[in-house]
Amino acid sequence: MTRHSRHLAAALSLATALAVSACGGGGAADGDTLTLLAWDSEEVMTPVLEAFEEAHPDIDVEATYSPPVAEYIQALQTRVLSGTAPDVFLIAAENKTNLIEGGHVLDLAGEDFLAGVPEFNQQTYGADGAVYGLSLSSWGAGILYNEDLLAEVGAEEPPDTWDEFLALCAELKDAGITPYLEPLDAMPGVLSAFLGAYDASTGHTMDDEIFSGASTFEETWTPLLEQYNRLYDEDLVTRDTVGLGPDQVEAEFANGRVAMMIAGPWNVNSVREAAPDLEVRMVPIPGVDGGEPFLAGAAAPGLAINPESGNIEAAKAFLSFFASPEGIEIYQAQLGAITVTDDFEPPLDPALDPVVEDVRAGNVYLPQIAWQRAEDVLNVEAVAQIQRMVQGEITPREVAQALDRKLASS
Amino acid sequence: MTVATEAPPPSGSGTATRPRAAGRRTGPSGGWREAAAHQLFLVPVAAVFIVLFVIPLGQTFYWSLTDFTGYSDDFAFVGLENYRTILSDPSMTAGLTFTLLFAVGTTVLTTVIAIPLAVALNQRLYGRNLARSLFFFPAIPSMAVLGLVWGYILSPLGSGVLNSVLDSTLGLGPVPWLSDSTLAKFSVIMVGVWGGAGWHAVLYLAYLQSIPHEYYEVATIDGASGRQRFFHITLPLLMPAMVISQFLLMTNGLKVFDLPYTLTNGGPGFATQTITQSIIVSGVGQGQYGIASALAVLFTIAVAALAFSQLLISRRIERRVL
Amino acid sequence: MTRRRPLLSVVVIGLACLVGMPLYYILVNTFKTQEEMVSSPLAPPTSFYLDNYLEVFDRIPLAQSFGNTLYVTVGAVVVQLLVGATAAYGMILRATLFNRIFGALLLLAFVVPGQATLIPLYRTLVDAELVDTLNGLIFMYAGGSIFCFFLIQGYIRTLPFEIIEAARIDGAGVFQIFWRIVLPLIRPILITVGIFQTMWVWNDFILPNVFISSPEKRTIVLEVYSAVGQFTTDWPAFMTLSVIVLVPMVVFFVLTQRHIISGLLAGGVKG
Repeated sequence: MTRHSRHLAAALSLATALAVSACGGGGAADGDTLTLLAWDSEEVMTPVLEAFEEAHPDIDVEATYSPPVAEYIQALQTRVLSGTAPDVFLIAAENKTNLIEGGHVLDLAGEDFLAGVPEFNQQTYGADGAVYGLSLSSWGAGILYNEDLLAEVGAEEPPDTWDEFLALCAELKDAGITPYLEPLDAMPGVLSAFLGAYDASTGHTMDDEIFSGASTFEETWTPLLEQYNRLYDEDLVTRDTVGLGPDQVEAEFANGRVAMMIAGPWNVNSVREAAPDLEVRMVPIPGVDGGEPFLAGAAAPGLAINPESGNIEAAKAFLSFFASPEGIEIYQAQLGAITVTDDFEPPLDPALDPVVEDVRAGNVYLPQIAWQRAEDVLNVEAVAQIQRMVQGEITPREVAQALDRKLASS
Repeated sequence: MTVATEAPPPSGSGTATRPRAAGRRTGPSGGWREAAAHQLFLVPVAAVFIVLFVIPLGQTFYWSLTDFTGYSDDFAFVGLENYRTILSDPSMTAGLTFTLLFAVGTTVLTTVIAIPLAVALNQRLYGRNLARSLFFFPAIPSMAVLGLVWGYILSPLGSGVLNSVLDSTLGLGPVPWLSDSTLAKFSVIMVGVWGGAGWHAVLYLAYLQSIPHEYYEVATIDGASGRQRFFHITLPLLMPAMVISQFLLMTNGLKVFDLPYTLTNGGPGFATQTITQSIIVSGVGQGQYGIASALAVLFTIAVAALAFSQLLISRRIERRVL
Repeated sequence: MTRRRPLLSVVVIGLACLVGMPLYYILVNTFKTQEEMVSSPLAPPTSFYLDNYLEVFDRIPLAQSFGNTLYVTVGAVVVQLLVGATAAYGMILRATLFNRIFGALLLLAFVVPGQATLIPLYRTLVDAELVDTLNGLIFMYAGGSIFCFFLIQGYIRTLPFEIIEAARIDGAGVFQIFWRIVLPLIRPILITVGIFQTMWVWNDFILPNVFISSPEKRTIVLEVYSAVGQFTTDWPAFMTLSVIVLVPMVVFFVLTQRHIISGLLAGGVKG
């Protein structure tokens, strides 16, 4: 026992020594220290931060990383509430209402760095003319397809209309090729795109009407859910998708076992890494009921400034640098993101060509971001009910009715 | 059996009277001073409990009576409104069935596996260190990585690891491990047991050390078989360990969140949704911290009630057995 | 009793390998490129590919994070074991009604969901100027003492009390008995609980994620999660870092678990 405790004591003193020597490096006293709670990974942010510090030698950036989404929201919330929030942090769909209503984000409207940012990205993190986040990129999810597998049935690319798309799936299936897979652990991209196209055709009033009570989910969603569910009703896609996550779907696609999948730009990057020889390309999701092809997607979280920060000028300098062609070029190179500022043309994978313009213009839609309240609760309900529909337990109409009930009770 | 009656007196009342009786022998003043010294041993734990649990829980209870958003200290007192909201919302109980199933399922299965495992790992075996480590470590890597790995293993597609093994050995078609409601519940519970059995076996392993070797020697001389020794010596003397292990399994099972969340995200449908997931989604995700606090308070009370009744029952059984 | 049992060994090791399969999956994929990992996840690596490790070693200040983690883990586990063991012993010595009710109340610590106490505790730490410090983390982990108390108390109750009685009659002081007789007697459970708590503190992500914000105070698990992005996770890096975090724990476990042997057998009265 005494020997045991001596070991413990030795280990403790060693650890103390290490920790103390480690602390010696920190804390630059002169110049400004800008604190940042980053959302992207350290690997992505470090080159940007280094370039910024080079351009502004008087400002030192101290970055903390927290993985999105839930962990980030929690870490930020705890700090905001306790008055220890960083100078710069991210405003996202999940926390924007609370941050704005609590007065925890600075209004950036009129700042020079917003000049090149499209209206869509500004509005996503804005309210009543104020803009609270600098959102520099957007994402859009479409149909990623394997050109070789499509060529086996003589198709060049997925068609523009849903009916033709389903016919293509049937053809692929007859040829012994799995036509399409999607992960159903989240809102299906196909449905989001159908809704987005419909919303655009009504002049973006769809959600206003649902949330004001002028319309219902049942009225708006049912026909689109029915169309979407034909994938499963007509037995074109396996109902096992309710048990799949995005990583498994991507692996099936990268291994050439499925012809088409729902995908965002990030999937293109990782499919390239996993299967460099695969010929792939992405197109928007086919239009339904005479609607236009559309994309599921949203504006990326925006950089926000803490109004209680003692470093607002340095924080603005940081945002300006990030939005400048110089800063955004470094950031874009790390992630391959579809950036939206008008003075920088992001070099992107050619497979994305058919969708880039729409994404940059903000022609994308995601229900849980467009919804006006109870977003999380409705999203969880929608995903679960859609899974039940795919399993054949309930009808599309019942999915929409469940959403109406959920909205009424929350 | 004679051996069982020779067991040391472990029950609380028996041990409690002994030191007190001895204290009287040293005279009343010495007894008082000694009692104070003994009480001193409980001060650190009391401090920890009050600072890290009682005060924060009190704060949470206070917030549960307000419309606190979790983002601003500007909030109003709303009385029992939050509790009323919760109790009138049917979806809050959505996760109830699976949570109970998971807690009971993992408690029973883990115990049934962990005890024989501990006994086996207590024997002199070839490669015992390796085996102990392999059984112990499953639960250690983060849920994020385990979710990914199990997602591949249990993938309902024909290319899933388990499905391709079943196909090549038994010629079975793809089994919808995670895409069928019943199988998904089963799969999540199995992964939970996989993660916990080795950990609890190590716990039992420690308690096996407190069984004096003489008991086994006497029993062997009396002609008891291995099975008799297990059921008449090992199992009764492991009762205190079982009480603890099952209490931990039950409370952790009722509080489970990570595992179903990463493996199935509560699906398919609502099949593997848990109560904690409902709390986190409807409370924290929506910035309704007051409601979330009220849920946490209700949840604490419910888990406490369940876990304590389980504890009382198993303590009673323990007394009867010993 | 003392001879090794070959048949049982084969069965146990066979089962252990089955249980260890997912760990094999994680380990083997750290030696593969992303391409290889996706195309043949279970196969052994085709070449001796070390880039994942080299990249991680290059990018992350591992020595510093390991130092921080070691400091927090050792500090936290020592505090937990001391508080837990003293409490368990005190509870046996004075099993008054008050103390027994108090002991039952302590179990509340197991039923409180962690999420519920996070924000209040963060504020306490801000007031105590302990937020964003390693000692603040140790303070938070002291809550694990109650777990230790619960397990140790159960163990003490199974011990023959005559040994302690004998020491008392010999005139040994309260603290002397605790230090020289009780602690050696409960060594198996101390080591077991020590292992459990070391694993927990070493691998914990929730508390450091909220309580640590300075880069130089990061624990190693925070580095693991730096590979997680919004849409995709860098799985090779994530698994590689997970393995790096795990290796010291495996060594620690293998070295300590062999000491889970009977305190009675090892001559508890030796003191």
